[in-house]
Amino acid sequence: MKEFALMMIGAALVNNVILARFLGLCSFMGVTTRVDTAAGMGLATTFVITVSSMADWAVQTYLLDAYGLGFLRTVTFILVIASAVQFTEMTIKKVSPSLFQMLGIYLPLITTNCAVLGVALLLVEGRMGFLNATMFAFASSVGYSLVMIIFAGLRERLVLAHVPRLFAGPPIAFIVAGMLAMAFMGFSGIATG
Amino acid sequence: MNSHHLNPSPENSTASLRSVEGIARVVRVDGDQAWLEPEQTTSCGHCASSASCGVSSREEAGIGTVTSRLQARRFYLDNPEGSSGFHEGERLVVGVSESALLMAALTAYGVPLVFALTAGSLTQAWYGDDLATMLGMAAGLALGLLAARFKARRLAAKGALAPRFLRRARPDETCGTV
Repeated sequence: MKEFALMMIGAALVNNVILARFLGLCSFMGVTTRVDTAAGMGLATTFVITVSSMADWAVQTYLLDAYGLGFLRTVTFILVIASAVQFTEMTIKKVSPSLFQMLGIYLPLITTNCAVLGVALLLVEGRMGFLNATMFAFASSVGYSLVMIIFAGLRERLVLAHVPRLFAGPPIAFIVAGMLAMAFMGFSGIATG
Repeated sequence: MNSHHLNPSPENSTASLRSVEGIARVVRVDGDQAWLEPEQTTSCGHCASSASCGVSSREEAGIGTVTSRLQARRFYLDNPEGSSGFHEGERLVVGVSESALLMAALTAYGVPLVFALTAGSLTQAWYGDDLATMLGMAAGLALGLLAARFKARRLAAKGALAPRFLRRARPDETCGTV
């Protein structure tokens, strides 16, 4: 149980998808101007990463490994992710048209989010069982959402701050992102301690 | 047509809560109802300025195109000013409260995930087999989606998911400047 908890904390905080692995940087900079949109995007991405990781694990175990088709991994995973996004979109639309109209905007953006593919490929490297793989994917995406929300909060405050004109906009956002990454490095003590 | 009912609110009234705003264009006025289509759904966030790249919101309708996505997200609102209120082609600023957006995201994505992960963990504890865990998690996901549907219906019935008409958009106003 302790190892399980450490694996999840490690995936969410120590080896954070955005700040340690540098995945999903497009959405990190593009959808973090407001906390609410960042939270919406984070939740949608969490759902897609978890669901697509479940499917990726099954495809890897019962198809690619079983028939020696490992060289098709990347292209297969991309197909699985696109299908997972499409499945999510169709399901949300069916479950509640109101929710789809409110949240549908986030879903097409996730197809091209490299964090989704990155986590799926990390699972293959990890050689984990199904539950461990799914929980790892879930924890990674929770870490992604956490950083998105924190960064959005910081950017909302930056708008109100007096920033020199030379640094206004993306430059100061990148500087803050770097400081946030350094702050997250403090979590590495959890893994070694 | 996929529709969504909006609660009207008088023009110039401001939402008391912080809201997420967007621009929608009136595409049809049907008696005392105005049908609106949101402007911003392209992957790059472009809308009225879509001529600046290859992502056009004026393309032919078809499976998976931006136009078809916009058509799928059409909604209507009661015309608060009678038949002389909104006109076709008019651009309006509509908004939903932040809390509604968060609640919607939690309902749509959070509830199914919690069900799936709980079901998977329980199945793993009982059977200790990957295949059984996978089936248990899939069943939990399906159950979670049903629960999300139930919760979404309750929220919709209370009007919690309904965007509101805030004001008319300025001519130079685009989705990026709202």
